[in-house]
Amino acid sequence: MTEAGTQQALALSQPNQPPTFIPLDQRVMQLWRFSDALGYGIFWLIVLFAVLALSWFRTGWALSLLCGWSAFVLITIAWVMWYPARAYRAWSWRIDGRVLETRSGIWFRHTRLLPLSRLQHIDLESGPLARRFGLASLILHTAGTQNASLTIPGLDAAYAEQLRNWLVELGGNDVA
Amino acid sequence: MSPESATIFTGRLHPLTLVFGVWQGLRGIWPLLLLGVVGNRWWGIAIFATLSLGGSVAFAAFRYFSFSYRIENNELITKEGWLGRSERHIPLARVQEIRIEQHLLHRIFGVVDAQIETASGQGAEAKLSVLSRAEAERLRQAVFNRGAQVETTQAPITQPEAVLVRRLTLGELALAGLTSNHLVSALVIVGAIWQFADNALPQALRVRLRTFTTQTLAGFVMHGGAFSLRFWTAIVISVLLVSMLFSMVGSIVLFYDFTLTRQGDDLQRRYGLLTRRSSNLPRRRIQVLKIEESFLRRWLGFATISADVSGNQREDNADSKGRDVLIPLLRRNEYEKLLPLFLPDLAAPRTVWRPISPRAIKRGTMKSARLLVLLAAAWFFWQWNWLAAWPLLLIPVAYLFHRESYRHLGYAMTQKYLFTREGWLGRATRIIPISKIQGLEITQTPFDQRLGLAGLNIDTAGQAFTGGVPRIKNLPLAEAEDLARTLAHQAGLTPYRG
Repeated sequence: MTEAGTQQALALSQPNQPPTFIPLDQRVMQLWRFSDALGYGIFWLIVLFAVLALSWFRTGWALSLLCGWSAFVLITIAWVMWYPARAYRAWSWRIDGRVLETRSGIWFRHTRLLPLSRLQHIDLESGPLARRFGLASLILHTAGTQNASLTIPGLDAAYAEQLRNWLVELGGNDVA
Repeated sequence: MSPESATIFTGRLHPLTLVFGVWQGLRGIWPLLLLGVVGNRWWGIAIFATLSLGGSVAFAAFRYFSFSYRIENNELITKEGWLGRSERHIPLARVQEIRIEQHLLHRIFGVVDAQIETASGQGAEAKLSVLSRAEAERLRQAVFNRGAQVETTQAPITQPEAVLVRRLTLGELALAGLTSNHLVSALVIVGAIWQFADNALPQALRVRLRTFTTQTLAGFVMHGGAFSLRFWTAIVISVLLVSMLFSMVGSIVLFYDFTLTRQGDDLQRRYGLLTRRSSNLPRRRIQVLKIEESFLRRWLGFATISADVSGNQREDNADSKGRDVLIPLLRRNEYEKLLPLFLPDLAAPRTVWRPISPRAIKRGTMKSARLLVLLAAAWFFWQWNWLAAWPLLLIPVAYLFHRESYRHLGYAMTQKYLFTREGWLGRATRIIPISKIQGLEITQTPFDQRLGLAGLNIDTAGQAFTGGVPRIKNLPLAEAEDLARTLAHQAGLTPYRG
């Protein structure tokens, strides 16, 4: 979703027809899976080490401990496969006139609305892992207190840059 | 040179800065001096005192001679330091509040502490300590008149006349103290007095006092039966009386001669018996206004008004400085008339309050009922007695409570303002200028989703003194989304100017 995406979003933000919500870039599922797996993988190794050390001293426990560890690994693998896809489906955003609207959350749902004229500044963030996937996040800051920043994760890196410029433009132009 | 780029005035600290520097130093070391007198350790103490006093004098002198400020190009510029010079530029249009504090000692010499606040939310941007009274007034006038002028028109500076909005009488302040629930703070004061007595009173007197109290207490214990009821009643009543007395005195000392005046766009408060405080607050900076009627005050027909400007941060001692309220006490029939002074264009008759979803009653009642049933069950298994079922009798009460809460909860909208209201016995009404809304959030917990309800949070730039983010709970989801979109679009139409 690059140039065409912006055109699509622009076309959809006509005042008479409410724009539809736009999903994140599909690659973000891979990114989330990868980073989750990385985190869990380290945890598995630590737990495995502890299990092996314990089995050394209590030989009788070895089998049940290893079974427990494998069950734990299987559950987390299932989780890593399932959760990012579900979170991806829950995430969407749109620009309706001069208001940015995002939706997220599976069990605890959040819809956030940000009038673009309230934008103080926008950060474009792309970690080493996200860069490998060609993705970036936009972090929008307002002068608010509780929700002073709003993050849109998993945008195509080139598109994120375009979107940022466009948001700044939309936010900066005061309505006469 | 255009008139805007001209230096309007330059100023320095008052020479008494030096004296107050010494005073600060003395305050830090007086317990030590006392120790020296009592403990006969003259030499060490004298050397230490000279060093530390010398240090604070040098520091004060350094500050006095190196500090200067000026207003130039619509900026307040402070300059400090000799070797490493630091200059701070504060755009006048960004100044939120000027606070002036005058302790007892300041008052004797006619000087003040001035603090200049911006929206940065990191405390005072500039501290001018100490200035002469006249100088502080001159600075205040310059900052606010220029600031207002830059934002609105380029008309010549006219000095709008200060209009007295409200003055609180001694009786009203006493009432404000009596109706505040400062039981805890009263106990703290009692504790502090005890601590002070412990430090300051001579040993012999203290010991005598302690034996007296223990003997009296022991006497009570000896008399057995009478001890339990009469003793505890006496204790409770005396604690209540003492705390009422303390909060009354505290309120009078803090807010003595409270006056609220308005000068153009600028709201000015002055108050205090020992320490005089004054603060200026441009009304266009108000982000949220809260009218709070606690149970006792509502019953007597009174309310308290508090307001937040952007970047407000609650300090530990905000309450004890009276920063948390705009007006400590006001009659109900008065505030309706005063509100348009704080929030322009509020005069239009308010639209009717819109209710939230009636499912809130059932939801709340079920929640309380579950808790009460659990309590009864736990009690029953512990005691094996049918009397343990008494918490179940409270379920109708819970229903009544949630029904009344539902009836008193609501929101309303006019062209420029959003109102929220909650509370049955005590009531809190919040008024949010729609142009100050920074963002909106609709939240749905799994329980909300089952009932098709949602909560709406309205984010603004300041929420320190008005009780956190304004929130409307238990709205039907579609209504929450509609309301949020309407508010967001309307807020988006106006640029945010702090």
